[in-house]
Amino acid sequence: MKRKLSIILTLAMVMGTFAGCAGKTSGTSSQSGGKASGTIKIAVAGPMTGDNAEYGKGFVNAANMMVEQWNAKDGVLGKKIEVVPYDDKNSGEEAASIAQKIVSDKDIIGVIGHFASGVSMAAAPTYQENKVIEISPSASHPDYSGMGTYIFRNNTVINVEAAAGLDMAINDLGKKNIGIISIKTDWGTSTSAIVKKLVTEKASTGVKVVAHEEVMEGSDDYSPAITKLNAAGADVVICVGMYNLVAPVSKQYKQVNPNIAVVGFSNAYSQQLLDLGGKAVEGLRFPVIFFSGSENPKVKTYVDEYKKRFGSTPSALTSQAYDSVGILLEAIKTAGTTDRAKVRDAVAAIKYDGVTGNTVFNEKRDVQKSFVKVTVKDGKFVEIK
Amino acid sequence: MSGILTRNCVATVIIQQLFNGLALGMAYALIAVGYSLVFGILRLINFSHGAVYAFSAHIALLFVGLNFGIIPAIILSIVLTGILGVLIDKTALEPLRMNNSIPMASLITTIGMSNIIQNLLMIFFNTERKSFPAFFDFGMIKFGSVQVNSTQVVMFVVSLILLVFLTLIINKTKLGLAMRATEQNSKAASLMGINTNFVISATFFLGGASAAIAGVLISGYYQIVYPGMGFMVGLKAFAAAVLGGIGVLYGSVVGGLVVGVSESYAATFMGSSYRDSVAFIILILVLIIRPTGLFGKKDIKKV
Repeated sequence: MKRKLSIILTLAMVMGTFAGCAGKTSGTSSQSGGKASGTIKIAVAGPMTGDNAEYGKGFVNAANMMVEQWNAKDGVLGKKIEVVPYDDKNSGEEAASIAQKIVSDKDIIGVIGHFASGVSMAAAPTYQENKVIEISPSASHPDYSGMGTYIFRNNTVINVEAAAGLDMAINDLGKKNIGIISIKTDWGTSTSAIVKKLVTEKASTGVKVVAHEEVMEGSDDYSPAITKLNAAGADVVICVGMYNLVAPVSKQYKQVNPNIAVVGFSNAYSQQLLDLGGKAVEGLRFPVIFFSGSENPKVKTYVDEYKKRFGSTPSALTSQAYDSVGILLEAIKTAGTTDRAKVRDAVAAIKYDGVTGNTVFNEKRDVQKSFVKVTVKDGKFVEIK
Repeated sequence: MSGILTRNCVATVIIQQLFNGLALGMAYALIAVGYSLVFGILRLINFSHGAVYAFSAHIALLFVGLNFGIIPAIILSIVLTGILGVLIDKTALEPLRMNNSIPMASLITTIGMSNIIQNLLMIFFNTERKSFPAFFDFGMIKFGSVQVNSTQVVMFVVSLILLVFLTLIINKTKLGLAMRATEQNSKAASLMGINTNFVISATFFLGGASAAIAGVLISGYYQIVYPGMGFMVGLKAFAAAVLGGIGVLYGSVVGGLVVGVSESYAATFMGSSYRDSVAFIILILVLIIRPTGLFGKKDIKKV
């Protein structure tokens, strides 16, 4: 019995590893084999299946949209541009092997991706070593862009964003007892540490972190963490995670304490948040760089076009991916060559006016952008003026 | 971590976590019963049970989406999931029994069925997490400083009623008598005129239906549904079934509660990352100290 059961358990574990493999690869790629000389390829790497598939698919959609605009004007350097999507399933191991595949294709000038910081950082050394430009539209871990001279970030570093989120919790909402729920990933742990540090700096104003709970991403049941936060007297919860953390935490917390205020991060900004969170995410606040409800005509045209083609509003990260592709193409055009070293220099020196504002990379290959404060009102995202 | 909490708070948290754990534990018990029922009759661990549970939640969500109303959706889900249980037996397991295959073949078949069901769910419902209505949330109930979520109370009570109901079916009805007879000796039972194939189907139906109720309850509690949801829950319920003594119904209930409560406390005092491992630590300890489980019968030979 004992031995049989151990065999059974082993089998069950093996089954678990297979369960993740299934699913369908999607994304509308404009590919057709691709001849070695005629095209310039841009890889888009991100999660196309699984929990964060929405983000990866958004990257591909955005890249296709931008590339089609360029191709309509005869591409770049007289060559057609091709988007090659890669599914990294948001896993570091998968990303490392995809990076190997990407660098072995000499036509690929640069990579837009990966999605999560930890995953991007797993792939970055391969890109750096092979001099392939990586622009992540989403990585926000402070150490990411420091991994090499070919590693760029078109997303705000988390310190700046954490300060903006905290500002909303403390100054806009007037809360002092801060509870933190963070996902136990590289990004989640470092971000919550940054939030804590920022709160300590403001300790003189009476603001304090009353409790901090780390949870496993996608564990569904957050009631043990919520019980602790609630008992510690938190009046605002800072949710360090994606929509799949923010929505269930809001729901489950509001069952216990309907008055709790929730502050998220820009990666919660997604249609899925509203679908999954429903009424519970009403009043949720978070800072974003890109707000699709903006009145700016350039943003409006882009959002309308995206909606028309893909039936959903582009998220901030999707829009940063859109601009990232633009940056890479513009740099190729400026450099006048597909030599990656020259293109890299052009990216580093670029001043790009896109839908997510003016993009200029600093000496750390990071960007500085201003934040828009967003809240959920009547089931919609609304800008707080 | 709990250093920030005052002593009074700690007491409240302990009680509150007990309720969190009991509600969850009862739902585990409902799933564990499915393992137990099938194991009792076929001496087979049905690893497709976790996927069956996920299936039930998706079916309920589908009918809620089609505006059937929540109660009809749940009833349809229970019936269809029960039928799925029967189908699994008829298509995959019965042919193996007819050929007198080795027990391991059936076991691996159930793992295969689990993958098939889960992948079909991914194809038809997508991999994303979907929102499930919190259809039995009536706000908080207060007992002094302790607040109990009405959702948890409903989960506990509904599960308890169903478990009593199942026990009655097995101990008081003719079908139950036939099930017990088949469990003791299926050949002798069929010689006595019991249609053992029907009894086995009925068992799979009951297992599927109880998983469906657990699926609906847990989905209503977490308000999240996705194809992979049954994997971890299924394994934990399996741990609960083994803990209580697989094949013994009330053992599953005790096992479920122990797993649920210890999971809740582990999340509180050791951090959320340990919560999933606790069930399996308990499972391993039980297998070492008392291989038949807390209430298990000694004479299980066939496995």
